[in-house]
Amino acid sequence: MKNLIKTTTFLLMLLAVSCSNPPASNEEVADLENTRPKGQASVVDDESAKNILQIAAGSPDHTTLVAAVQAAEIEHVLVNAGPLTVFAPTNAAFDLLPEGTVSDLLKPENKGTLATILTRHASPGSYDVPALQKLVKKGFKLYMATGDYLEITQEGEDVFVGGAKIIGTIQTSNGIINVVDKVILPE
Amino acid sequence: MKTFHLIFKIFMLLPLMWSISSCQDGSGDKKGALGSNIAEKVYVAPGEHDEFYAFVSGGFSGQLAVYGLPSGRLFRVIPVFSVDAEKAYGFNEETKPMLETSYGFVPWDDSHHPDLSQTNGEIDGRWCFINGNNTPRIARISLQTFETEEIIEIPNSAGNHSSSFVTENTEYVVAGTRFSVPAPQVDMPIAEYKGKFKGAMSFIKVNPEDGHMNLEFQIMMPGFNYDLAHPGRGKSHGWMFFSTYNTEEAHTLLEVNASQNDKDFIAAVNWKKAEEYMAAGKFKEMPADYRHNVYDESTHSATSNKMTTVKVLDPTELPGLVYFLPTPKSPHGCDVDPSGEFIIGSGKLSASLTAHSFPKMLAAIESESFDGEAYGIPILKYEDVVGGIVEQAGLGPLHTEFDGKGNAYTTFFISSEVVKWKLGTWEVVDRQPTYYSVGHLMIPGGNSRKPFGKYLLAMNKITKDRYLPTGPELTQSAQLFDISGDKMQLLLDFPTVGEPHYAAGLPASLITENSKKYYKLEENNHPYAIKSESEAKVVREGNVVHIYMTTIRSHFAPDNIEGVKVGDMVYFHVTNLEQDFDVPHGIGVIGANTSELLIMPGQTETFVWNPKKVGVWPFYCTDFCSALHQEMQGYVRVSPADSNIELTWSLDDE
Amino acid sequence: MKKSKWIMLIAALLPLALFFFPMWNIKLEAPQYPDSIGMNIWINKITDQNPNDIKNINLLNHYVGMKYIPEQMEEFELFPLVVGIMSFLGVIVVFTGKKYAYLGWGIVMVGLGIAGLYDFYIWEYNYGHDLDPMAAIKIPGQGYQPPLIGSKMILNFKATSLPMLGGYLLFAGIALSFIAFYIEKKFSKK
Repeated sequence: MKNLIKTTTFLLMLLAVSCSNPPASNEEVADLENTRPKGQASVVDDESAKNILQIAAGSPDHTTLVAAVQAAEIEHVLVNAGPLTVFAPTNAAFDLLPEGTVSDLLKPENKGTLATILTRHASPGSYDVPALQKLVKKGFKLYMATGDYLEITQEGEDVFVGGAKIIGTIQTSNGIINVVDKVILPE
Repeated sequence: MKTFHLIFKIFMLLPLMWSISSCQDGSGDKKGALGSNIAEKVYVAPGEHDEFYAFVSGGFSGQLAVYGLPSGRLFRVIPVFSVDAEKAYGFNEETKPMLETSYGFVPWDDSHHPDLSQTNGEIDGRWCFINGNNTPRIARISLQTFETEEIIEIPNSAGNHSSSFVTENTEYVVAGTRFSVPAPQVDMPIAEYKGKFKGAMSFIKVNPEDGHMNLEFQIMMPGFNYDLAHPGRGKSHGWMFFSTYNTEEAHTLLEVNASQNDKDFIAAVNWKKAEEYMAAGKFKEMPADYRHNVYDESTHSATSNKMTTVKVLDPTELPGLVYFLPTPKSPHGCDVDPSGEFIIGSGKLSASLTAHSFPKMLAAIESESFDGEAYGIPILKYEDVVGGIVEQAGLGPLHTEFDGKGNAYTTFFISSEVVKWKLGTWEVVDRQPTYYSVGHLMIPGGNSRKPFGKYLLAMNKITKDRYLPTGPELTQSAQLFDISGDKMQLLLDFPTVGEPHYAAGLPASLITENSKKYYKLEENNHPYAIKSESEAKVVREGNVVHIYMTTIRSHFAPDNIEGVKVGDMVYFHVTNLEQDFDVPHGIGVIGANTSELLIMPGQTETFVWNPKKVGVWPFYCTDFCSALHQEMQGYVRVSPADSNIELTWSLDDE
Repeated sequence: MKKSKWIMLIAALLPLALFFFPMWNIKLEAPQYPDSIGMNIWINKITDQNPNDIKNINLLNHYVGMKYIPEQMEEFELFPLVVGIMSFLGVIVVFTGKKYAYLGWGIVMVGLGIAGLYDFYIWEYNYGHDLDPMAAIKIPGQGYQPPLIGSKMILNFKATSLPMLGGYLLFAGIALSFIAFYIEKKFSKK
């Protein structure tokens, strides 16, 4: 009888342990999520033709832009299948803004505003300079990812989008970067 | 005393065992620490069944894949629009007619939007419909047999994309054309598109008894592109909503030229009104050339019928039939919430979502406050019909479904995420990234009055580094989210067949009860079926030879055939005499220019073999049927074309 | 009519239930047959437990050389006759009202029941042992005889043999005849 009680007690204890022991802790689950790639921007690929984000990140003239894109957490948009056309203001263009504007925008609380401003520099579609010149000829405006339209004008060979002059064009794997000399701000 | 001890021991252990088992049983349902285990949420133990079926289109594979949720296990790929050598679909004589079109035999299509039959606005588990995009067709799949039973071609259509969406009592399946085309087709300059091309919306009537489809009427719309559609339900039952783009009517470089208008339309079609006009004879009968292919379960064979006319309604002459709801920027999805009040337009180049209000639409129609017209079709004022806007929800909205608890879930392609928002308050409440570039999403019953808001399946176009690499061509994927809580939780990420373009899901219990186990031999009316081995025979008609063959574990009857000659057309008509669940037999013969047969119990299938070489040629069972599967084989002796060998057949030399 | 007579009448009529309900069931369970396959044995026929079960049992059994389950047997003609006659005699016994007639009927029924079971056992033995020498699978020493009553493993199959409603009603009839005897005996003592 003694033995029996012992056995039963032992079994009951086992039971209590097995029941209260969760199969995996919350922390483990959370860790798993953190170590997962956070999106397409973190895909490691050195072989394919470079996408908009990769090219911008490699350009010494666009460090401000890239920092802004990261602050606004819209990297994934720039690696999307696209096609996208990005009007990329140079560091010099950002410097033309009133003093303090950039550092203000980079603050976490202004993430939304910054994202909107940057998204306003992207258009769904492929528009290099000849394509933009064609739009000018047809009298079309350029539709931007935020939903508003930008005026395109032409002076000689130069093309201006929302008042910013295109000073260079780079083809990328998922669209086109048109380097511009000004940040395009809402009117 | 010993006996007493034993009994006492057993009694002591009983409650213990009960409590152990109850501890295990409860763990799956409990919230808190145990409930947060993601793996456990998708784990369906060996031998256990999934809670939901998901029917996921194969996109460019042309097929329909059947998965279980939450496990993501693939059960079956149902061949629909593409040939499938594994199942002899499109290869055996019985199913070849299924792929006949007015262009002849077409072995492939691009399958896009599966939708399930409904009764009173709820999923009823009878049929799944799906569209073929490239050579416009609609297919009906039986959910008893998981076989394609019917395919109807759609005339006057091209790029059958805004299809196949089912009305609330399965009165109609609709099919809208993506490309507008000359209707009827005519040799004309492409640049004269504007005003001359037409976009046909087809309403296919479904027989409530057997599901048989008939192209009841077409509405000949202006030459826009028609993208997706969804039926009204509840208060909006009787209406169908189609999204349009390229209202610019561009015929080239659409990526620029069709993205100019600030607003395109959602076309609201009053199909009850259309029925009135049909009854009143207000249609025009138009010559048309299309095929209607039906598979008969009793003969195990399909027939293809040539159709020659279609009835057409002209919305420019028939008031009250169609209204246009202005919707921003090339709307893709137009999704109707479970109550039928809101029609959600997802302008794919817009950052916001537009929810049109059905009651407001009716009021606007009543007061005739139109904002002009397009080709005689009234355009309602945007401000009069908008019920709400989800502002700046993401980039590139595509498709919305509902959980039946007042929430809506929208995919955003460019920002690669699923966004959860509230109907009525239009506020975003959660967003989760997808990996990567999500297209459509699916909640079981999400396109009905009664969604089962437990899981959400997001279907992605791009996977990049998500799985082990397989060379340049990578699998696409589906991602399962738990949506039972306030926040969406990613549970599972599984590879798919072809492009998982769109899906439909339902609780498994709606199907499992009725799922067919085998075909009854006595109900087999195939013209070449035989019901016993004693009826096995070989018949020559000129140079055509018909072999009436049977299979049963583990032999063919006959299995020795002589007297076949080079140049003959040899038909193997094989009946599987088995009457047991899950005992198919297969057959393949050396050098046959076709696929194997895979014959279900009680079924008869046929393939043709043209023997080209003299000799003795084997055939064998291709499905591992039984312990003596490897013994299940036979020979055909092929003699020269001019030989006099008599036609004989035998089994065990009898 | 006395209580015992009523009981004896029911006892005499219960065997007729065998014409309406199967007597016995043999079923085979294995992982690949989650619903089990089996046959119902009547006094005049053998039927499927589920559609096509006999066909599928024959298909399985032919690998080890077992004979097909017969469609015709002498017993199928004899048994209905015996049951009919015994029931008829039982009714006559009721009208005699004699307790030893009740007992006699019951004893004869028990005897016939044992004979029937013995016959069933012999049939099972032959079915399980008389194997085709050409069989594809031969396992030396392995018999395939199903149990007379209860369960037993035959290779990977669990074979279970149990009476069904007809059989139970027959037993009840026999038991009632003894009860009728007992009651009658008690009453006559008083």
